[in-house]
Amino acid sequence: MSAPERISSIVIVGGGSAGWMTAAALSRFLPTHVAITLVESDAIGTVGVGEATIPNIATFNAMLGIDEDEFLSATGGTFKLGIEFRDWGRLGERYMHPFGQFGYDLAGTDFHHFWMRQRAEGVPHELAEYSLNTKAAYADKFARSDGDPRSPLAPMRHAYHFDASLYAAFLRRHAEGRGVSRIEGRVVDVEKKGESGHVQSVLLESGQKLSGELFVDCSGFRGVLIEQSLESGFESWRKWLPMDRAVAMPCEAVEPPRPYTISAAQRAGWIWHIPLQHRVGNGHVYCSEHCNSDEALAALEQALPGEPLAGPNHLHFEAGCRHEYWKGNCVAIGLSAGFIEPLESTSIHLIQTGIAKLLALFPDRSFHAPDRDEFNRLLRVSFEHIRDFIIMHYIASARDDSPFWQQMRQTEPPQSLSEKIALLEGYGRFSRNDEELFTLPNWLAVLHGQGRGPRFYSPMADAIPQANVTQGLDNMRAHIAKTVRAMPSHQDFLERFCKAAPARSAGTVQ
Amino acid sequence: MNEHEIRQIVILGGGTAGWMAAATLANVLDAKRISITLVESDAIGTVGVGEATIPPILLLNRMLGIDENDFVAKTDATFKLGIEFVNWGGLGEAYLHPFGSYAVDIETLPLHHHWLRQRAYGYSVPLSKFSLMSQAAYGNRFMAPVTDNPRSVLASIAYAYHFDAGLVARYWREYAEARGVKRIEGKVLAVDQDSETGHVNTVTLESGEEVAGEFFIDCSGFRGVLIEGTLETGYADWREWLPCDRAVAQQSTKVGPAVPYTRSIAHGAGWQWRIPLQSRMGNGHVYCSEFVSDDEAASILADNMEGEALADPRILHFTTGRRRKAWNKNVLALGLSAGFLEPLESTAINFIQSGLARLLALFPDKRFNEADIEDYNERTAFEWEKVRDFLVLHYTATRRNDTPFWQYCQSIQRPDGLERRLAQYRGNGRVFREKGELFTEEAWLAVMNGQGIEPEGWDPIADRFDLQEMRRRLDSVHDLIGRAVESMPGHESYIAQHCKSPNAILQGA
Repeated sequence: MSAPERISSIVIVGGGSAGWMTAAALSRFLPTHVAITLVESDAIGTVGVGEATIPNIATFNAMLGIDEDEFLSATGGTFKLGIEFRDWGRLGERYMHPFGQFGYDLAGTDFHHFWMRQRAEGVPHELAEYSLNTKAAYADKFARSDGDPRSPLAPMRHAYHFDASLYAAFLRRHAEGRGVSRIEGRVVDVEKKGESGHVQSVLLESGQKLSGELFVDCSGFRGVLIEQSLESGFESWRKWLPMDRAVAMPCEAVEPPRPYTISAAQRAGWIWHIPLQHRVGNGHVYCSEHCNSDEALAALEQALPGEPLAGPNHLHFEAGCRHEYWKGNCVAIGLSAGFIEPLESTSIHLIQTGIAKLLALFPDRSFHAPDRDEFNRLLRVSFEHIRDFIIMHYIASARDDSPFWQQMRQTEPPQSLSEKIALLEGYGRFSRNDEELFTLPNWLAVLHGQGRGPRFYSPMADAIPQANVTQGLDNMRAHIAKTVRAMPSHQDFLERFCKAAPARSAGTVQ
Repeated sequence: MNEHEIRQIVILGGGTAGWMAAATLANVLDAKRISITLVESDAIGTVGVGEATIPPILLLNRMLGIDENDFVAKTDATFKLGIEFVNWGGLGEAYLHPFGSYAVDIETLPLHHHWLRQRAYGYSVPLSKFSLMSQAAYGNRFMAPVTDNPRSVLASIAYAYHFDAGLVARYWREYAEARGVKRIEGKVLAVDQDSETGHVNTVTLESGEEVAGEFFIDCSGFRGVLIEGTLETGYADWREWLPCDRAVAQQSTKVGPAVPYTRSIAHGAGWQWRIPLQSRMGNGHVYCSEFVSDDEAASILADNMEGEALADPRILHFTTGRRRKAWNKNVLALGLSAGFLEPLESTAINFIQSGLARLLALFPDKRFNEADIEDYNERTAFEWEKVRDFLVLHYTATRRNDTPFWQYCQSIQRPDGLERRLAQYRGNGRVFREKGELFTEEAWLAVMNGQGIEPEGWDPIADRFDLQEMRRRLDSVHDLIGRAVESMPGHESYIAQHCKSPNAILQGA
């Protein structure tokens, strides 16, 4: 066995969440002699606004050895137990999509079949009453599970809301502490090797040339390397997800931060509210065919819960993904890899997935093609699965009160999504395929929340005597109510363990 | 109550598949409301020979609430920690495919990457030293895993059974009949279908008795009386990848202590299994009829069997492949009626078990939702194809070309998924398990490594660690495993203490 030709230098193009998450993770896990350089320009704004996440970000932070309280304190962060969807199924309705499970399974059969059986027999309790996260969220409470599976808090699942630029700054401290060097500058040209077409170096405005063996493109929508130089190509998903603009605007907090994100459907899109400790992040995602930027901004301003803290930030995008996320010696991570609107807070998760797969398949200078193909296949599956889940929110709505919603009603879903819905809306079945992020409770929460869901329950649910089912479900609800009563309020918890440190901006960080 | 509920289930065929289905359904369904009838004929023999299994079988017994010691004693069973493959990578070579994992990940990396790196720098400890099951198997040791201390090395013991399939069918039959399953003796003469839907309504037996059902489980073996004979579902033939098409089976007397592993010995045109039971030995020779005659195959088996033959050899014919739909209309095929893969990795019983698990997750009512049935069939196809690929790996990733059969195997075009897996392993030794696939990373690794495939490198992330320091850590891992194995009892003494079979007691063995 000859000594393989290892990668000894890596250049990350672009800071922001994607760039600094990548830098922090690579510097944590790669052999220490590998030189990692991140080039970013203060002149190029990052897209990062108030950012909401999903629970597995905790895995990423834990991998880096980051303490949760310290992290929340540094990023002005709050806890998140789910997302409240308003006006999605129908105008005037709302539901919570919580993290975690509903109830627990009985005799190997999924919980919801028993809940449906009870409903068929006239027992009124809502699905939400079996979610510890939902009950805690609506009571503005929070407590942390200590990992003991016997604890009443064991079913709690949480993620965070945080200030994305503060998170990038926080990770930058970690990465620089592990030897990542940061270069300020803007990439103006890319030099490729003649034969392989691999990226050889990037040229900065200053005239400085940065060479590397592996490049990670975290340059955002534009994809400076993966698209502008390597022409990977982009597959548009506009026919399913026509939203192409957003306007964001932070405002003052007028109430203690809620432990959940809010997504309020509009006439041609939806508005997010993300509570941080020191402010609320707001934004309006919309479809420019049905709404112009003035109308979008007006709707957002009207929905702001407090006084605006900055002017509007307008963004353009297109839903879709790169044909190849990894091409030659360049790997795209973050918005350069693809974009799916943040309706289910999946942006950071997709960054994390890209990083995890890159680490699992980390190349040598030979860039072994089967490893690269596997990376592209796995990322593709992750993207498409999330895409389907997002599309489902739009097509499983009964709204037809605007041209936009009428158009969404006529949207033909991807086949993978039709199959999934057919399975779930028949007998409440769900089969998880590989690498899928969202599982049965997620699909069920949204479908049911929007007034849809399984028509029948599994015949297996009839195998348990009625009295046992009734007692089991009564116990679950009582248990949840008791657990929520004992929890501190979200605000108290934050004050006590993770109070925001005095505001720091990215520029003052060492 | 649900008017669409299925109230009559008919299982066609006894044997391992039929009685496993009956026992499982009797355990989860309410027999007071739902009738379960099994039709079998004593005149039709079952294929069941000495059977080897894989670890998920433990889940089945646990679900059924079966006491392990009772089960092992009554089925003449022994314990199994893996399979030894002899003459597979090359003539004169042997390796063990152990259950369970190769120790633990070290610093988030699978252990074998550190091992591959050390080996490039002259480390000579074989990978098998890092498997508790390999070391225990070759040391002829066994014990059930400790349950009171999850941190103990001995908590990670992964195992399955070798058992007498006829005795197991009887064991499950007693279990099922005690829970209300009705058995009817008889051979099916005719099948009546609904003229509109094509669903099976009744089967008529030789005696004239008509057995009606709303849902039929076809466990009738290779023939597939309902799934093929009636519904003409179709069969995907996989002989282009796995050309063996016959087996000769024969029991022999026991020689020496029963070892806790199956042995598979490659021959000139196939391979021989050796499955140790408590009181005797199950043997068989799987072969390809194009390259060896039945008589030759039987004599190869006779020459290589260790004890005295206990019966005449039985020849079995099969076509490797899979029923195109395991579930068609109101008929579900389980066991050999669903397909056949040679028992090289002891998967036959597991296919029945996983089919039952999927059935329970997708249990129908009288409306037979098509989306559920499609889902069942897709998942079944996926599972079978991945196992097929795993078997093809054994035949094609070898340096053997000493007979026309092995030369032919070199020309087999591997399925794409397998080709991709091999290419990935040959690079930096990476192995991944696809979700929903039966065999683990460690299983693929054991066979790829055992058959002598050499990756060019290892995961670059392993270079992060100091070479000498990592060598010390690896040494301490296999040393710890070695010491744990020394503290385990012998396989036969464990059996004698906990679960001795009456047959073995009669023999004074």
